[in-house]
Amino acid sequence: MRIAYTAALVLCSSLAWSQTGADLADGQATFRGNCAFCHGLTGGGGRGPILNSARLAHGSTDADIKNVISAGVPGTSMPAFDFDKDELARLVAYLRTLSGSAAKAAPVAGDPVRGRKVYERSGCAGCHRIGTEGSVYGPELTRIGAGRSPEYIRESIVNPSADIPQEYGGVTVITRDGKRITGVRINEDTFTVQLRNASQNFQMFQKDEVQQVIPETKSLMPAYSSLDKDDMQNLLAYLDTLHGDLNAGAAVKKAEGIR
Amino acid sequence: MNRVLCLFALASLLPAQSVTFDRLVHALSEQQNWLTYWGDYSAVRHRDLNQINTSNVKNLRADWIFQTGQTGSLETVPLVVDGVMYLTAGNGYAYALDARSGRRLWMYKHAFPPGRKANAPNRGFAILGNRLFMVTPDANVVALEARTGKLLWQTEMAEFHNGQYTATLAPIVIKDKVIVGISGAELGIRGFIDAYDTATGKRAWRFWTVPANGEPGGETWLADSWKRGGGSTWMTGTYDPRLNTLYWGVGNPGPDLDGYVRKGDNLYTCSLVALDPDIGKLKWYFQFTPHDTHDWDAAETPMLLDLNWRGRERKLVVQANRNAFFYVLDRETGEFLMGKPFARQSWATELDAKGRPLLMKDQEPSVDGTRLCPGLAGAANWMAPSYNPETRLFYFAVREQCDVYYTNPPVYIEGRPYFGSVSRGVTDEPEWGLLKALDPLTGETKWDFRYFHAPWAGTLSTAGGLIFAGDADGYLMAFDAKTGKNLWRFSTGTAIQNSPMTYMVNGRQYVTMPSGSAVMTFALPVE
Repeated sequence: MRIAYTAALVLCSSLAWSQTGADLADGQATFRGNCAFCHGLTGGGGRGPILNSARLAHGSTDADIKNVISAGVPGTSMPAFDFDKDELARLVAYLRTLSGSAAKAAPVAGDPVRGRKVYERSGCAGCHRIGTEGSVYGPELTRIGAGRSPEYIRESIVNPSADIPQEYGGVTVITRDGKRITGVRINEDTFTVQLRNASQNFQMFQKDEVQQVIPETKSLMPAYSSLDKDDMQNLLAYLDTLHGDLNAGAAVKKAEGIR
Repeated sequence: MNRVLCLFALASLLPAQSVTFDRLVHALSEQQNWLTYWGDYSAVRHRDLNQINTSNVKNLRADWIFQTGQTGSLETVPLVVDGVMYLTAGNGYAYALDARSGRRLWMYKHAFPPGRKANAPNRGFAILGNRLFMVTPDANVVALEARTGKLLWQTEMAEFHNGQYTATLAPIVIKDKVIVGISGAELGIRGFIDAYDTATGKRAWRFWTVPANGEPGGETWLADSWKRGGGSTWMTGTYDPRLNTLYWGVGNPGPDLDGYVRKGDNLYTCSLVALDPDIGKLKWYFQFTPHDTHDWDAAETPMLLDLNWRGRERKLVVQANRNAFFYVLDRETGEFLMGKPFARQSWATELDAKGRPLLMKDQEPSVDGTRLCPGLAGAANWMAPSYNPETRLFYFAVREQCDVYYTNPPVYIEGRPYFGSVSRGVTDEPEWGLLKALDPLTGETKWDFRYFHAPWAGTLSTAGGLIFAGDADGYLMAFDAKTGKNLWRFSTGTAIQNSPMTYMVNGRQYVTMPSGSAVMTFALPVE
């Protein structure tokens, strides 16, 4: 009897142990399948924010993280995920193993004040908004320092076509009289296309009334590969300081009827 | 045509006749009606109605819309019997409507035991005599009185097990039996096809789609993996009355994306099985995708065609499979005759002489993700194709969409997904879709029409020279069957997730396409 009891204990403890291992493996699989495309295979960031630092933008408790995953982040491309309770718990447990794996983030080298001048001089505000300044034709940068790694931002500047967020994909329409109209694709289906041009106006077309509809495979943003090394570093340093409130820009977008 | 129209008009004035098995066998000679899920037993989905045709389809307009008011997208194909439309909605609802006006005659709501979730779509009714048959989200078969919608009997196909067993398909009636399948291969079930007595609801036979150890085919499963081997039978079969053979597409093995725990070919998953419908015994099988690890089940329509195959008349069964190959088999013997890719595929170098795929390298799901075409939803899926005997072409919806497949050893918990990880749409290219007209004798494409998104809607062919089809952006469209020219379209406002059908009442032809939670019916203006 005692032997049976001991055996049961051993069995139970090994079950508990293997369950944890399986849970983490499960959480990892969920992460790789659903999160890694934006946040990187090890949470190092990419199109989405870094997740391997101890401090996360929307709170770092388990409840905060679960809330972000389940509700998404309005005004960003972070969608709401419908995981069941256990799956969510396993995912958060896995995320915990990633946090702190990044070296303590040092501030980006360079002079943010000069970087701001580079930003202004290069005409970035013609397409991007910071706070309440600038256009919302391109992605908003109000919070870019909190949301993207410097490596990702650098790549986005020198080679914007490397990764184009879906909601900023471009489309060009050639009308019957040969006019080319390019803008951000707002909507497209088998027979129609709706875009927003650089002047923030909607333009809507029936495909059988135009010559051609061409999806843009390259980013609508020009590549700024000619920035000199110091300007680039200073610009990155400036963008890294941007940790503002996204709602400012979101309100402008809403007021202008832009999703 | 006028004489035929007159006959139809006369028929609709007669009191509704009981739908006998003989009427089901000859369903194609009742062009005004739509008596089975497929319209008949062979699933050609072609109607000899030509009131709406290539010349006047531009005038087609919405005639009536019935709002079910239920959540979820309708996946049902209605039956029409002598002026009455019978349809099911999701979550255990069903309706009878005046097929000319869409006005409701009765509504049925399945009574769920407390605590059971009810969120599942449903694909339609079967009818025999004055009885309608449907399945429910909690895996019951239900018989209703066609005149009143009153419940006659209800039989549980399988214990609910926390939602592990569900059912969504339209049943098929053969002789005195109603035959149904089961869903749930993503949750670790062992699949089956069941036959129930139409009068009493008593089970007549069961065919297990996953054989046990010791049974023929049982050796294709590692250890006891057959117990949770999947093999759903979630779409309706087709039937050849002369051969007295039932053809049924079997779903994927479970766990879906992790094949390690179920080494072997995993019979009869991803196969077509040919059964004797009187006793449920296997006549032959053909496995399209042995040891599938991409969820490419074989639930797509097994259409029965009698064609001149390379010099002699043969009885064929054809299928545009989820794995991106179009197959032609001899339906008397199961012999493989042809298999040709109809969409981009990056998993098989070719099919061998017996139709078995020869695999490319590195096509298995992996921990870091494997990019593969087609995606998990397949190059084809459950949306129905059609065949036009005049153009001799097979019309179907093609999905051009690729996925990254991940794998991970799954843990089995009753009622929870037993999937073996996930897949995710690729980000390096957009998806798109095609309506394709294919020659079933050669597998060659005669024409295609491009959709902006990968579709979930099937096709209907008519003697008016038209193909009706739907897309994922909500368009119901009509095409010239010969040329593929788009002749008409209507934006229904939400993704279409089923297949159009047509019928005639009092000499007027209608086309019905459920979309979202509404049943939309179209006709030419009355002059």
